[in-house]
Amino acid sequence: MDAKDILGLPKTPLTVPQEKKSRPQKDSQRKPDGISREVYALTGGLAPLMPAVDVSQLKRRPQSDEKVTWQWLPFTSSARTDNLQLYHWVRVVNGVPPTGDYSFAKYNKSVNVVKYTDEEYEKYLTDPTWTREETDQLFELCERFDLRFIVIADRFPSSRTVEDLKNRYYNVSRAILVARAASPGDVSGHPLVKEPYNVSQEIERKRALSMILSQTKQQERKDAEVLAEAKRITEARIAARSAEESDMPVASNVSPESNEKNIIPVETVSPSSNVQIPPTTVAPPTSTADNLSTLNSLRGMRVYLRTYALEQMVQAASSSAGLRTIKRVEQTLQDLGVNLKPKVPTKSVCAEHLELRKEILTLLNLQKQLQYKEAEGSSHRDGSYAETPGTPKRSQRAGEQDRTFIPDSISFGGERVGKRDQKRKAPAPPSPAQSKRPRKLKASD
Amino acid sequence: MYGGDEVSAIVIDLGSHTCKAGYAGEDAPKAVFPSVVGSIDQMEVDDLVNTENSGSGNDSKNTGRPFDSEKTKGKRKLYVGSQALGYRRDHMEVLSPIKDGVVVDWDIVDSIWDHAFRECLLVDPKEHPMLLAEPSSNTQQQRERTAQLMFEKYEVPALFLAKNAVLTSFASGRATSLVVDSGGGSTTVAPVHDGYVLQKAVASSPIGGEFLTECMMKSLESKGISMKPRYSFKRKETRPGDFQTVDVDFPNTTESYKLYSQRVIASDIKECVCRAPDTPFDESAYSNIPMTPYELPDGQTIEIGADRFKVPDVLFNPSLAQTIPNMESFADIAPSVRGLPQMVIESINKCDVDIRRELFSSILLAGGTASMQQLKERLEKDLLEESPQTARVKVLASGNSTERRFSVWIGGSILASLGSFQQMWFSKAEYEEHGASYIQRKCP
Repeated sequence: MDAKDILGLPKTPLTVPQEKKSRPQKDSQRKPDGISREVYALTGGLAPLMPAVDVSQLKRRPQSDEKVTWQWLPFTSSARTDNLQLYHWVRVVNGVPPTGDYSFAKYNKSVNVVKYTDEEYEKYLTDPTWTREETDQLFELCERFDLRFIVIADRFPSSRTVEDLKNRYYNVSRAILVARAASPGDVSGHPLVKEPYNVSQEIERKRALSMILSQTKQQERKDAEVLAEAKRITEARIAARSAEESDMPVASNVSPESNEKNIIPVETVSPSSNVQIPPTTVAPPTSTADNLSTLNSLRGMRVYLRTYALEQMVQAASSSAGLRTIKRVEQTLQDLGVNLKPKVPTKSVCAEHLELRKEILTLLNLQKQLQYKEAEGSSHRDGSYAETPGTPKRSQRAGEQDRTFIPDSISFGGERVGKRDQKRKAPAPPSPAQSKRPRKLKASD
Repeated sequence: MYGGDEVSAIVIDLGSHTCKAGYAGEDAPKAVFPSVVGSIDQMEVDDLVNTENSGSGNDSKNTGRPFDSEKTKGKRKLYVGSQALGYRRDHMEVLSPIKDGVVVDWDIVDSIWDHAFRECLLVDPKEHPMLLAEPSSNTQQQRERTAQLMFEKYEVPALFLAKNAVLTSFASGRATSLVVDSGGGSTTVAPVHDGYVLQKAVASSPIGGEFLTECMMKSLESKGISMKPRYSFKRKETRPGDFQTVDVDFPNTTESYKLYSQRVIASDIKECVCRAPDTPFDESAYSNIPMTPYELPDGQTIEIGADRFKVPDVLFNPSLAQTIPNMESFADIAPSVRGLPQMVIESINKCDVDIRRELFSSILLAGGTASMQQLKERLEKDLLEESPQTARVKVLASGNSTERRFSVWIGGSILASLGSFQQMWFSKAEYEEHGASYIQRKCP
């Protein structure tokens, strides 16, 4: 409403349905001629719809020149071998009964079952497990029951399986077909020759099907209960194991889930199965714990990309650090000439990359702590160190850290510079961390 | 047009409890009467009159008179039909032609058919092809005998013998199904595949409607209720609206007739009052349920409590019958008899694996006993427990209880009026040419 006002549109749409409403009311008050008022009221006051059917087609009366009677006459059917005459009602037109075969005789269809002669049997069809009589019986039943093998197996005098009967039938049919053909090429296209009946496959298929069908609902319920119980046990065991192993970084692959049968997946977790990273002699305990937790979460997935795993681990590792620290880590990496994401993410490369990141992080953390301590120290000593660089500057540019540290090292003890430079060229070993710790202690003394 | 073509065939279904006969193409049989006959042996009557021996009639045929037995067989007067049976006659024995699913007395069968044709349907068998329904596990010899009787005596133009299970299956419009036919004399579970019964997988048990009636009778008797047969009392109106029962004594009534009359009353109680319980019957659980009143023909009103549920549960748990007093004779056949759900599962497991799923999803109920209330739900529930998880279990039964009782006959009516069936009759010419054994080929 408001929109229309804004747009300046007229309010006319409201009037149109009102017009329509008034019109049918006027119509109902006027009844059409030809029918009484009460009858018209029965239709609900609305005009009747146009009939979809042409009225002249509704009842096709027979043409008046024909005389139609119904007579009880005998009939024969070509589908019968004898001449039984049954009676039925027949529409007789002008005294002439309809001619032609019984209209239902055309539905009498049967299957073409091969018929073999004695010599053909002797030549091609002998089989150690089947006697002549049995084969004859089989073929007679096949013809009687139109190749319904389940019924044939039911009526067969000796108890042979359906697959056995089918096998014999198809072998015989194929042998006869091949034998009677002018050349092998003629019949190679025939379905019997092209795709032979595979007995063992059928037996296997039926066995599998029967196994599926033999599992009742009670058994399914028991299976489900057992599986749930097993899952609980494995979860409990994983939790216990991760609490135990805190000094050894461990990774394990997830074994593929077994099929729905009763194989209890208790032994999927085996800590010694795949050790991804060679245990380094000193690794901060926190990082291993982080590793384990991400590994736990990754174990839930069966297939994952290594880059994804790496990202998760990096995130986990740097979860304690702020955004700025992460940026500094990345800046350090760039300055070192290392890609933010490894180009060829193999196991060892990813591991080293992760280590590098962790060490850079540790480095930055320790540097920050050092600066705080120094700031404390300097605030105590009233700024005796002229070259103490301002903390904010240091925090922004990680590239300056190398240079800022050199004056520190010079001030504290210069002989370690060379070592550190050498060490920084390789992927950062943990020795800076090691060397920093005793120095930190010294600073706080 | 549709596939029907009526040739005015006649469909007869001779069951162990009732015989149904009528025209093909109709939706219900015209003639329904009990398939037992009353028989009075003429020789016995004459002898009794002569020697003034007035005991109530025992087995009238062979006691001490072997040289007369051939004559007595021929001189037996048979009374067929509910009207004839309802009237009590001296020395009338009640005989059934069928024992354990097999016809033992062909004279009685003959008289039943005769009664159906001439008195109920009023047809001349020479003009109408006959469709007979036979039990699903009928022997070759029985079929040949049937064919012989029909062609020789009644001179029918054409004959066909169809199995009960197949007809029930056709009546519900399916070619493949598992038919649970729970009739008077027995319960049969038969799988039908593509219109043919798989005979190696047919399972049957002797527990049927008659057995349940007997359980009901014995149970009521043990509670002290005596059911007086209808003929044994008269009710006189002493005051308007007030009746008095007077016992009338008929010393010459046979024991079998008395039992038969009592069974009629007991089966009426069973049909009115009994319901299949939702869970397996437990004495303690049902000890406090409200009782249902039922008025016997002689005026006394009885209360029926736990028996309402106990008796139908015998179908599912046959060993329950042993707890009913006076039913210990059942104990010797009890171990081999299984309940209904077990029979169904057993029957399906004997079939080929490929069709099992289809059989599970189309289980049909038929027969007089199957029209018991809640039977379908209980069977479905029991089957869901025992059946494989991947198969969908569905028990079907037509809602109308008349249709369930006559489903075999209705299937026969449908079959005999199809146009494409008319080529399958076993005609008189073929019988004369090939003999009665040809029926095995013609009627699979």
